[in-house]
Amino acid sequence: MGLIASIIIDSVAYGMVLFVISIGLSITLGLMGFVNLAHGVFAMAGGYGAAWLMRTYGWSYELAALAAVALVALLAWPLQRLLYSRLQDRSDLDQVLFTIGLVFVGIAGMGVMFGNAITPLPLPEYLQGSVDLSFRVIPTQRIAAVVVGVLVLVALMWLLERTRFGIETRAAVEDADAARALGIRTARVYVMGFSLGAGLAALGGVIGAELLPLEPYYPLKYLVVLLAVVAVGGVGSPLGLFASALLLGTVETAAKYLVPSMSSIFFFATMLAVLAWRPAGLFGRAH
Amino acid sequence: MEQVLVTPKPRRLSLAGSLLPEGFLLLAGLLLFYAMPEDLGFATRILIGGLFALSLDLVLGYAGIVTLGHAAMFGVGAYAAGIFAIQVSGEPFLGLAVGAVAGAIVAAGSGVLVLRSHGLTSVMITLAIAQLLAEVASKWRSLTGGDDGLSGIAMSPLLGRFEFDFLGQTGFFYALTVLVLSFAVLRRLVRSPFGLTCVGIREDRERMAALGCRVNRHLTIVYAIGGAIAGIAGALSAQITQVVGLTSLGFAHSAEVLVMLVLGGTGRLWGALAGTLVFMVVHHFAAAVDPFRWMFVIGALLLVVVLFMRGGITGALLMVMRSHSRSVK
Amino acid sequence: MASSTRVLPLLALAAALVGSPVQAQQVVKVGIVGPFSGPFASSFGTPFRQGIEAYVAQNGEKAGSTRVEFVYRDLEGPNPERAKALAQELIVKEKVQYLGGFVFTPNALAVAPLIQSAKVPTVIFNASTSMILSKSDYFVRTSNTLPQVTVPVAKYALDMKVKRVVTAVSDYGPGVDAENAFRQTFQEGGGEIVESIRMPLNTTDFGPFLQKIRASKPDALFVFLPFGPPTFGFVKAFNDNGLKTAGIRFLGTSETQESDLQALGEAALKLETGYYYSAAHDSPQNKAFVETLAKVKATPNPATVAAFDGTHVLYKMIEATGGTANGAKAIEAVKGMAWESPRGPMKIDAQTRDVVQNVYMRVVEKLPDGRYVNRETKTYAAQPDYGLQLKK
Repeated sequence: MGLIASIIIDSVAYGMVLFVISIGLSITLGLMGFVNLAHGVFAMAGGYGAAWLMRTYGWSYELAALAAVALVALLAWPLQRLLYSRLQDRSDLDQVLFTIGLVFVGIAGMGVMFGNAITPLPLPEYLQGSVDLSFRVIPTQRIAAVVVGVLVLVALMWLLERTRFGIETRAAVEDADAARALGIRTARVYVMGFSLGAGLAALGGVIGAELLPLEPYYPLKYLVVLLAVVAVGGVGSPLGLFASALLLGTVETAAKYLVPSMSSIFFFATMLAVLAWRPAGLFGRAH
Repeated sequence: MEQVLVTPKPRRLSLAGSLLPEGFLLLAGLLLFYAMPEDLGFATRILIGGLFALSLDLVLGYAGIVTLGHAAMFGVGAYAAGIFAIQVSGEPFLGLAVGAVAGAIVAAGSGVLVLRSHGLTSVMITLAIAQLLAEVASKWRSLTGGDDGLSGIAMSPLLGRFEFDFLGQTGFFYALTVLVLSFAVLRRLVRSPFGLTCVGIREDRERMAALGCRVNRHLTIVYAIGGAIAGIAGALSAQITQVVGLTSLGFAHSAEVLVMLVLGGTGRLWGALAGTLVFMVVHHFAAAVDPFRWMFVIGALLLVVVLFMRGGITGALLMVMRSHSRSVK
Repeated sequence: MASSTRVLPLLALAAALVGSPVQAQQVVKVGIVGPFSGPFASSFGTPFRQGIEAYVAQNGEKAGSTRVEFVYRDLEGPNPERAKALAQELIVKEKVQYLGGFVFTPNALAVAPLIQSAKVPTVIFNASTSMILSKSDYFVRTSNTLPQVTVPVAKYALDMKVKRVVTAVSDYGPGVDAENAFRQTFQEGGGEIVESIRMPLNTTDFGPFLQKIRASKPDALFVFLPFGPPTFGFVKAFNDNGLKTAGIRFLGTSETQESDLQALGEAALKLETGYYYSAAHDSPQNKAFVETLAKVKATPNPATVAAFDGTHVLYKMIEATGGTANGAKAIEAVKGMAWESPRGPMKIDAQTRDVVQNVYMRVVEKLPDGRYVNRETKTYAAQPDYGLQLKK
């Protein structure tokens, strides 16, 4: 019984971190159909930014995290307007190549600025240590990640269902031409969506820094994992991504308990199985 | 990729004329040999890389299949040829055949999944297949040497006479011959109706289907041929360097060959070769410099090519030649 | 036409290898292959260079009357094809008489046939799989082997009356070797291996593994992980999941090496490891070594001292041959050589050409000035490579 409870707890914790890091990618992909392989760069930038602010200016964790997320979201705005938008209508291959180029530039930049070794992101007192659940302990930071994940999901659902921006976004996703015909400024929707996606990535980078440590090769190392979660979830669906993150997180975690050396293989096998069954992902729509 | 008129022109030529490009390639290879007699290992790797890039060009440039996991075919071919040499026979040409078959099988198998989907999903699948194969190779230590790599590959002399020597001369000419022959085959393939169909599918899938073309079957065959050639490149690598590592299957390898192809220009066979040559030569000399700056340069180059120089180096060269011939008229 | 193009390079090669028997060469080149870029640079590549330069700073550029010139080639990670190509380039084009470096086993294995036929002595600064040295008569090692440092850790566990151990290693060659070495020694001494866990290399979330381990309630945990994110993640999870507070001993080998120790910080406290070098080793040689490094703001690392001692071996080989290229003579000269290194006493075994040295048990402590160090607690003297004695 304790084993099952442990598996569930760890799966949820792991899945939530995966969710927060990849939700931004799902949004930009769903919204603009843009294959942004450089998503990891925004995540990494969030983490590095927060670490730098804490180290150089002595800011607190909360302040540095918020500032880093905001900064990344703000910087994403001109990036989309000036660069990404130019490739909006180009082929998948062009977008892949462009974003890989960005990944290389991002890695080089962070490497030069922060060096090769892992840059730690120091946690505040109340997030350190663990919470005792009598039959086991759970690191406090994991609980925080779960809380953040759920909040993000709720906030996003609200944003998409209840706000004007959300409605415009959904219209633009459904049929960009028709949306434009109705007077929706899709360019603005795209840039706001992209900015949101980047900010969420940065948040993921901060929250996930315990799990995915900050180092220059971060975007390449975790690219496959992030893409897997998004692909399985079905592009553009926050709920789908939530389900996918939980599914893949659970499969890998359960394997770690039961057949440790196969856990990685199970992750990819599950991904391939889901995609073979539903090529558009769990909640995706076939284009 | 929006190509600038890359449909190859089918035309008939005299026998000598139709062998001109191959002759040119052979000449270029010989020049390479005389340019770096003490660096034949490096020169041979350029040839093998060129062959690998050609195989990706067929799959990606001509048929439009986006893949980030092409190194899987290369690696499988390398391991197959290496294991064959160790456990069965050190005969080089047999090993090449084994590599080709291995690459083709992996491609045909994974093609079933890859080609059923598109966009992000299909790219994901190519990545995942390569990752899974790398995991299997890593775990199956008794067969592949695991992460120690496959070593102790001993080759029999080529054609029974030429030993694989220390300086790498035999290896170089072996690789050059295979490259020129493969180039000849590919050149005819892309000009044939089969090749033109690939381009058609790349440009407008629905129209081709409407014309009665069995798109998926066609693409699977192209993917398999590309896999076979990549497998041959891998086999060459295994036989000449006599060692195979897990990195041959890795994502870095797939990304590298993609960058080389794009720099040279997709959709043109010469693009694959030019891109490989330029990339590897520059890397050879720039490698001494800070690697992060190297990554920055490559990243920036990619951005520039995608934004402004579509068609890569060969595309830019052709544009220059065209505008020159126009101004001459 | 064909004959001259074949003969000329062969002649050049022959000349390079045989050298002139009449006069010694004034400059001897040594090729160093290592990860000077990429994720392993800070833990291996940079320390290699620093160790070499520290030795040169202390002993001058000349070995005997011959000037030594180091040629560096970058090899970012395990890549046997590239390793062989680089070695070939160094030997044929740069005409090096010796090779040094090599962090990863596959890279060392790849160059074995090459150095054997070219008779180029090669000093290994890190690669620690036992069987590497058996692949060529021209290999010498100045770092360590995995069994060499793992067997004492198992003996230490037995000495500390540890009865039940869980082993958790990364699922790759060195990890599996470490697991074998520990298990055999520990079981032979009467200990019980409760469970053996192999973790995939790309694992990011170690929580479940640690929870599993905690549930088995062992006395100690033996680990082997490659440096970098895996060690980082595992050590943090070890703390965060309450294993340290539950009193489970953490036994490892290279996980707390100096290049990563400060970054691990608080989480590394009280971890016990068995290894061949600690920067806090108390000896006059080490003091001088640390001071030389401090001048260039370098951290003393096991890789640094391995390169330092490797350079010592290279110098001795060059002296013994008077600067001429004679691989067999060079190797003979250093077989059985013993000296006092910054790590402690060390010797090159006359039969295996491998290193025989002290292995120290250390525990991580925090100094008053805030730095973390590996404080040596117990010495296992003159440990040979146990790899040959252990069953596969």
